[in-house]
Amino acid sequence: MTEAAGVRIRVGARQLSRRFGPVVAVDRVDFVVAPGTIHAVVGGNGAGKSTLMRILQGVDRPDEGSVILNDAPVRLTGPADAFARGIGMVHQEFMLAPPLTLLENLILAHEPLGRGGLIDWRAARAEADRLAKIAGVAIDWRSRVSDAPVHVRQVLEILRLLYRGVDVLILDEPTAVLAPAQVTELIALMRRLKGEGRTILFISHKLDEVMRAADAITVMRAGRVVATTTPAETDKARLARAMVGEAVEPARIETRARRAAAPLFAAKGLVARDPGGVQRLGPIDLEVHAGEIVGVAGVSGNGQDELVASAAGLRPIASGTIVFAGTPITNASTGRFRSAGIGYLSADRAEEGLCLVASIRDNFVAGREGEPPFSRRGFLRPAAIDDRAKSAMAKLSVRYRRLTDAARSLSGGNQQRVVIAREFDREPKLLVATQPTRGVDISGIAFIHQRIAEFRDREGAVLLISEEIDEILALSDRIIGLYGGIVVGELRRAEASVEKVGRMMLGQKAA
Amino acid sequence: MIDLFLHAAMLMTTPILLTAIGGMVNRIGGLVNIGLESMMLAGALAAVEVSAATGSVGAALAAALAAGAILGLAMSLVVTRLCANEIIVGLGFNVAVAGLVRFLLKSAYGVSGTFNPPGVVMLARYDLPVVKEIPVFGAVVSGQDCLTWFAWFMVPITAFVLHRTRIGLRLRATGSAEATVRAVGLKPLNIRDASSVFAGAMAGLAGAHLSIGVVGLFNEGITGGRGFIALAAFYFGRGSPARTALGAALFGFFDAAQIRLQGRGIPAELVQTLPYIIVIVVLVGLGFADVGRSREGVV
Amino acid sequence: MVAAFAAPFWRVAAAAAPFALAACIGAAVLAATGHDPLAVYRLMVEEAFGGQRRIAATLTAATPLLLTGLAAAIAFRAGIFNVGAEGCFYLGGLVAAVLGYVMASWPSMLLIPIALGAAAIVGGVWLIGPALARTRLGVDEVVTTLMLNFIAVDITSWLVNGPLLARGSANSATLPIAAGAELPRLLPPTTLHLGFVISLALVALFGLWERLTAAGLRSQMVGLNPRFSRAVGIDVPATLLSMMIASGLIGGLAGAIHVLGLVHRFVAGFSPGYGFTGIAIAVLGRNSAIGVAVGAVLFGALSSAGATIQLFSDVPIEIVEILQGAVMIFAVAKFGAGRRRGAAPA
Repeated sequence: MTEAAGVRIRVGARQLSRRFGPVVAVDRVDFVVAPGTIHAVVGGNGAGKSTLMRILQGVDRPDEGSVILNDAPVRLTGPADAFARGIGMVHQEFMLAPPLTLLENLILAHEPLGRGGLIDWRAARAEADRLAKIAGVAIDWRSRVSDAPVHVRQVLEILRLLYRGVDVLILDEPTAVLAPAQVTELIALMRRLKGEGRTILFISHKLDEVMRAADAITVMRAGRVVATTTPAETDKARLARAMVGEAVEPARIETRARRAAAPLFAAKGLVARDPGGVQRLGPIDLEVHAGEIVGVAGVSGNGQDELVASAAGLRPIASGTIVFAGTPITNASTGRFRSAGIGYLSADRAEEGLCLVASIRDNFVAGREGEPPFSRRGFLRPAAIDDRAKSAMAKLSVRYRRLTDAARSLSGGNQQRVVIAREFDREPKLLVATQPTRGVDISGIAFIHQRIAEFRDREGAVLLISEEIDEILALSDRIIGLYGGIVVGELRRAEASVEKVGRMMLGQKAA
Repeated sequence: MIDLFLHAAMLMTTPILLTAIGGMVNRIGGLVNIGLESMMLAGALAAVEVSAATGSVGAALAAALAAGAILGLAMSLVVTRLCANEIIVGLGFNVAVAGLVRFLLKSAYGVSGTFNPPGVVMLARYDLPVVKEIPVFGAVVSGQDCLTWFAWFMVPITAFVLHRTRIGLRLRATGSAEATVRAVGLKPLNIRDASSVFAGAMAGLAGAHLSIGVVGLFNEGITGGRGFIALAAFYFGRGSPARTALGAALFGFFDAAQIRLQGRGIPAELVQTLPYIIVIVVLVGLGFADVGRSREGVV
Repeated sequence: MVAAFAAPFWRVAAAAAPFALAACIGAAVLAATGHDPLAVYRLMVEEAFGGQRRIAATLTAATPLLLTGLAAAIAFRAGIFNVGAEGCFYLGGLVAAVLGYVMASWPSMLLIPIALGAAAIVGGVWLIGPALARTRLGVDEVVTTLMLNFIAVDITSWLVNGPLLARGSANSATLPIAAGAELPRLLPPTTLHLGFVISLALVALFGLWERLTAAGLRSQMVGLNPRFSRAVGIDVPATLLSMMIASGLIGGLAGAIHVLGLVHRFVAGFSPGYGFTGIAIAVLGRNSAIGVAVGAVLFGALSSAGATIQLFSDVPIEIVEILQGAVMIFAVAKFGAGRRRGAAPA
């Protein structure tokens, strides 16, 4: 730890590049982190932050350029090598063993031994308490990880790095799973570690926290470093613009002034829990009218998943009512939601939107295989299915070889089109669209946006949930902000801007 | 009267307890060993053969342990390195080993079903001088063989190893979070295989108890489904040596009781279903608890 | 409506490999005990397939396996890992045996379908418990169905040793069924009976059902990706429940056919693990109708050949079990589809 004190660059990169096939994930990046600082790396999805961190951590290797450690270029041979040099990362998915206690997880694989080769619990406990004191947190070492709340688990992950002598800590979206009070504690922890001489690198797209915590900020976009600055020299609006970029905004769809009078979809007092039983959403009221696109802006983890699951009928809600087209459908089955006319574009194309190993044809007809015209008296009618599938694929210009090919043989963009083709073919009244253009290239994005707009012009209703501010701004007639599970504001397209939407996403009033 | 009964119950518990502890350790390490029956069988045969051939109980026990351990390792490797489904592999081992044992008896000794060589030396039973006078407790503890004491001794030992040693900690981590274990630089598959070797060895000793501890010969049906009763015991015990031992003792008790109650109106076969019913009840109970927890919402 | 998997050649090769590996293990055992493996294997093939009578014996041995394999396949395909076919086999067999002599005066045309139907229903109902435990409580069906096997065997054992024991019978058996309950022989004097045709027909029906019906497609989707299936509106719990019950129905039917067609009474221990062998057959056959049919015939060949070669050589019949067990083990290794986990805690 002390040998790093005198260097200029504790960790960094020089002209670092990494390609995955035709995609350039990291593009000639120069990156400098001074020792004993808190350095934030911000950027949207696909900006290259994760890839860069993986390279710094030794999990991946650069194609060109080099990693810098203590002012010198190095070639890391793997994560163990990076670890030995003092670099460690806390991932978004914690690497812990749930039935074991916090202390046991802390010392796993590096247990202090005492007499007779047995674990020296006293020494372990002493060291654990010492680390907890450095971090300024109180930990019940004897409780189980499975009983520990998420923020405690996160602190444990950090302490585990300290236990192993790591002095460059990389935190990946650390505040994604935290409540505001816990975020303050985390920032305090980071400052205490910094005071100890450690270096913190954290990835985030929560600009509020970045401005509060960081000493230095690097902004990445499309694999490049587009800005290096400090909180004193910038503000959230400028950061947001740098993240999103002025040049490549998707073309805005014309907004509609008219929409149907009565709401098509009306949720009142909606409260929803995540699969673990924790309440994440609500109570909220939400209305979507025919002929309008309602965009939900918000950083993931603020209740979007639960909103999607409730609106698409994937999971029952905890309380409240949902009325669709005049009929209450609260807690009806998914099949009922769909037959009532609610379509769903999943954010998880690979696991939920499609069955990758199944054929395109099966992916298309799934869910309706028992209905006419696809089957008669229980027997499938292959010719009818093929005809319909072909025409649906044509409408979305899906590029495929044969309907019997597996869905996974298609490119990401084409896979997305298959999902959209299926949903549109059902002629839904409401489309719940989640990250509809994730992993799709620019022209594909424009194409999909056009189709969604046409759907709205045909009196369809769209509930759009997206992490991309530009997508929300490009499509929505009305934008609502979701923060901490509550609706914090509503804007018409005419009055919306990146800054206003960004503020809503951070929980502040729009105006 | 009750003394004799308790003594018999202890005796019948031993093989179940040995196997259950092995199976529990194996499950903690991440492998549900359905093939314990085959390891018990192999151990039983090895013990009889070696005991008759060498006249040494020690050698017989060593052979039984080795036979079980080898089968345990073989089964584990197929599951961990060839990514095979542990349930089917376990069932397959049971079928194959049962067939192999009968095959060998016919081929090598020309006997069918029962193998009773001359000169089998049995496990000795020891009376403890002062203890045996104590009512009830004396009958339970004194007059048993070394494997019985060993089995009960293993209960606190296992608990100790699991919670106070390195290997115990790593084993518990391997079964619940394989990716984590790999991430911290350990080799989870090796750890899992080691737990299988232990399970096989314990099952082998259990088989030895059945043959040279009780009946003095080998019979193809000697294990009588005890491998699965042990499975029921360690499912009941859910990772706690004490609870597992309680389950094993309970089933041993039922086993002894059922013999005594035969002809008194309670059908033996229905008593035999109890371990399996208990497993189902435990699993369903846990299921209800899980559902309740997620409905109420835990922070 | 078949998903685009590997080319047929590789599928056949992958299915054949476990047999080849098992044959090697068997050869080692034979050689170690002083037999000539190749001679033994040649004798086995002859005994299994040489001549009409031997083929009939093979098909007779395959009959119970066709349905236990089908029972496993239909469940596995939907993603339900039901290992309880053995228990259903026992229960179904007992029900059919009892009805077979209790309803002795009834005409065949009624008696046989009723006995078969009742046996099937008992088998189906038997598995409702584990099915509900899985769909409502998330309880792993492997352990629950495994336990139910032993419970079923013990219950039938109790019944056949007690209330249903045939008077004057030395071993644990029921009274023989009435002549009117027997399934007719197809090729006297061989023991090949109508049950073979019924079983084969059911397997063929399954093949058609899985390809041609909406329910078949639905079941396949649920097995491939339950999360996707739920999102597109398929009622996943209902599918799992119905497939599990269907699996039980077929398991019960298998036992009934075995009693009515071959054994003509229920005897304790009358199944040498047909249910478990069925699991191996389903896995080897990749849950397809053709795979189950071929697998059942192969295992039947193994079993019938083993029975006869011990008459002509000094090779013990247990070589069959060794080979069967080895095939089961290798069926799920490497090439095996198995299920989601290979070595994770239950």
